[in-house]
Amino acid sequence: MSDLDDFKATYFDECSELLTELEEQFAVIEEGERGADRLNAVFRAIHSIKGGAGAFGFSALVGFAHAYETLLDYVRDGRVELTDDVVVLCIRANDIVADHVNAAQSGEALPVDYGAEEKARFDALARGETGGDDDADADGEMMDDFDIDFTPVMVNLGGSMAEGEAPVEDVFESAPMAAAEGQWEIRFTPHRALYARANDPLLLFRELAALGTMSVRAVLGDVPPLSDFEPFAVYCSWEITLVSPGLSEVSIREVFEFVDGDCDIIIAQAGMVPSLADIGFDISEAPAPAVADAEPDLSSLLALTEEEVANPQEPVAPLADFIPEPPAGPVGAQDSFEEAPVLSFAALAEEIMPAAPPPAPKPPVAKAAPAAGGGESEEGGGRSVGVQSIRVDLDKVDRVVNMVGELVITQSMLTQQMDETLRARYTELVRGLEVLAQTTRGLQDSVMAIRAQPVKSVFSRMPRLVRELATKTSKKIKLETIGENTEIDKTVIEQLSDPLTHMIRNSADHGIEIPEKRLASGKSETGTIRLSAEQAGGNILIIVEDDGGGINRERVLQVARDKGVVAPDVNPTDEQIDQLIFAPGFSTASEVSDISGRGVGMDVVLSNIKKIGGSVHVRSWTGKGTRMTLRLPLTLAVLDVMLVKVGDSPYVVPLSSIVETMQCSRASFERVPSGGRVLQVRGEYVQVIDLGQRFGLATQVQETDQFVVLCETEGSQKVALVVDDIIGQQQVVIKSLEENFERVEGIAGGTILGDGNVALIVDVQGLRTTHLHQNAA
Amino acid sequence: MTLRVLTVDDSRTILAMLHHTLSNAGFEVLQAEDGKQGLDMLKAQDVDVVITDINMPVMDGIEFIKNVRATGQHNSLPILILTTETSQDKRDQGKAAGGTGWIVKPFDPEKLISVIHRVVH
Repeated sequence: MSDLDDFKATYFDECSELLTELEEQFAVIEEGERGADRLNAVFRAIHSIKGGAGAFGFSALVGFAHAYETLLDYVRDGRVELTDDVVVLCIRANDIVADHVNAAQSGEALPVDYGAEEKARFDALARGETGGDDDADADGEMMDDFDIDFTPVMVNLGGSMAEGEAPVEDVFESAPMAAAEGQWEIRFTPHRALYARANDPLLLFRELAALGTMSVRAVLGDVPPLSDFEPFAVYCSWEITLVSPGLSEVSIREVFEFVDGDCDIIIAQAGMVPSLADIGFDISEAPAPAVADAEPDLSSLLALTEEEVANPQEPVAPLADFIPEPPAGPVGAQDSFEEAPVLSFAALAEEIMPAAPPPAPKPPVAKAAPAAGGGESEEGGGRSVGVQSIRVDLDKVDRVVNMVGELVITQSMLTQQMDETLRARYTELVRGLEVLAQTTRGLQDSVMAIRAQPVKSVFSRMPRLVRELATKTSKKIKLETIGENTEIDKTVIEQLSDPLTHMIRNSADHGIEIPEKRLASGKSETGTIRLSAEQAGGNILIIVEDDGGGINRERVLQVARDKGVVAPDVNPTDEQIDQLIFAPGFSTASEVSDISGRGVGMDVVLSNIKKIGGSVHVRSWTGKGTRMTLRLPLTLAVLDVMLVKVGDSPYVVPLSSIVETMQCSRASFERVPSGGRVLQVRGEYVQVIDLGQRFGLATQVQETDQFVVLCETEGSQKVALVVDDIIGQQQVVIKSLEENFERVEGIAGGTILGDGNVALIVDVQGLRTTHLHQNAA
Repeated sequence: MTLRVLTVDDSRTILAMLHHTLSNAGFEVLQAEDGKQGLDMLKAQDVDVVITDINMPVMDGIEFIKNVRATGQHNSLPILILTTETSQDKRDQGKAAGGTGWIVKPFDPEKLISVIHRVVH
């Protein structure tokens, strides 16, 4: 059923949020902060997961979550101490809950005993045992409880009863208490609390009436003399005769389920018990005489009330609301008990109504007031309250983003079409276009902000990964996360998970040393992987840092030479060696483990990151650790670029990597012995790459007329690109070259310019790296 | 007359299911994600019955019910407690705070509707 599928989708969305929340809470709890708020949040998360799971009949998830929730409840109220061991158990339990959720979502079945060990430990803890490993039979007591306690019922949204439901009714029908005669006498005396909780005798009678033929008598014997009368006290009770073949006491009690404890109920089967007195009813309060006593009081009360009404100073007005009709009550009551007049339900309703209200501060008035007063503000007021966010289907946002992307292109195309003559002629049009450009920019920023998400959603998956890696490698690893609220475009975030997973695996596997080795080198036993995110200009930097042993450069270089990634006669710098771990075809095969070596190397990280317009840089300090920096664009939709010309072709260089531009005639080039050129910029020598030469394009332009585009790559390394001309600055939409053609060294992608021409996007970082290899070869 | 139900739950799933079930049964459904929001909505609108979860952030169901009753404006407003707890204590707490009745999650749509009719005129 599609409704059910919708609910499931909502549920799994919610689960993933709740699981993220659990990770976050436990990250702090693990640090030692164990405030009640955190525990409550954790409890609620598990509770919500369980609640939804019950609705969909995910019984394995319900079972586990229930046991976990019980433990959390005990922890919350202090019955179980939240020791470090318990925290570790809870974190493990979160993972199990996550696995159950995933299994439910994918429809895969987990092993029947999945999580049974943890469940057994919950029970042991809840029973006050601190250990728990040694009681395999601990499944017993609490476990059985759960089964009885919590039977998920599959929700049937079609409206018809769920299958398991009908028999429940049968159970009631066939309860041993069922009486053949089916005539019941009920004495019902509500307490004040019953009214205070908005229960209403009339509704109870309505329900009883549905069970069989019923007669009701109001008993007003307890109404005190007026001098003792308390306006809000409860004086009325009722006697009910209910006739229905096969009616059981259980069914009757069920009607009073909600008011149990808020009233006195005596239920007796007619014929089986001679009178109410025999079942403990205090005959001294027997209605008949009491009514006789009461009647004069009521009359005087009535009389008095009329007097008082005539004299409006006296504050008895509320009584007037219900007094005028009570005579009906006493009349019924007078005839009461032996000879009960059988009333129809409709008549009953009319009769009860006036009698019922007196006790409670019951309020047609109270209800009417807000209806009248609040009615006007209803539309505006009601809806504005508490609504700070709305949920929008991602497809819709994507559509807007794409359309804005197209709009940006059209706008830049229009601007480009304005040549100097037109500009001079149509100044108003030019101004209009400028405003359009500005507005488009603003629109784009706003739209991108809608799709931006905190990196938290990716970061939150990493603690579990680190835990699992630590277990597998027998290392002690702590994960720190910083800046998880940094926002990036959702599409970038989606592409981030895999590379990040690889990088963290790499750090845990190759970076962090085993505890003995760490201790021997004077470090703490526990290694730290720090995952941080920050915004730097138009980019987001994601940094994975570890305090491990650093990259083993000798080995990396050796492997690289063996595999022909680096020529034997080249001696790369340390930094260049570090970068080699991302080189295609490089994988330190001898070190392949089941963690890092899953058939893909770090080059996959690089190519994934490049695909989304980002770059990776690695830096390592021997004995101290490694830092890998991912530089990502804030958005994938539109890229700010500088349009340049090489030969006859347009190329674009991402603006975010450009430091400055200069004319070649003013630049001071110097030859180096290898035949290449370097550019001296403020005392710094920068590698020069002639794009015409590099891409094999013939150029007619004199070198002195050429331009230098100075770019900065990862690690503040600069590179100078020589181009024939600089055309201007604009925004482009990136199109993948790999998807549409194939991967090209030195090119990050393609784009369609405003005039319809295709331009290639220069991959500055890639050019620099390949330049190194070429020179080496 | 269309009855208006205020549903208060921090779980979107439960809110969505309540909404589906109740609107199919002809109720007008209002939604709040915690007790505080629920209270605010009650200030602005008149409702015929409230269905509230217990475990919620910001203001839990027990506090919510206490607050509703404390206003003095909603003494006869039936408040049903949504709970997975079949154990008595949550229910008792809810009742003590002024809850009228309860609905056990997971709820069957027919049962849900019939419980509402038990407490609403």
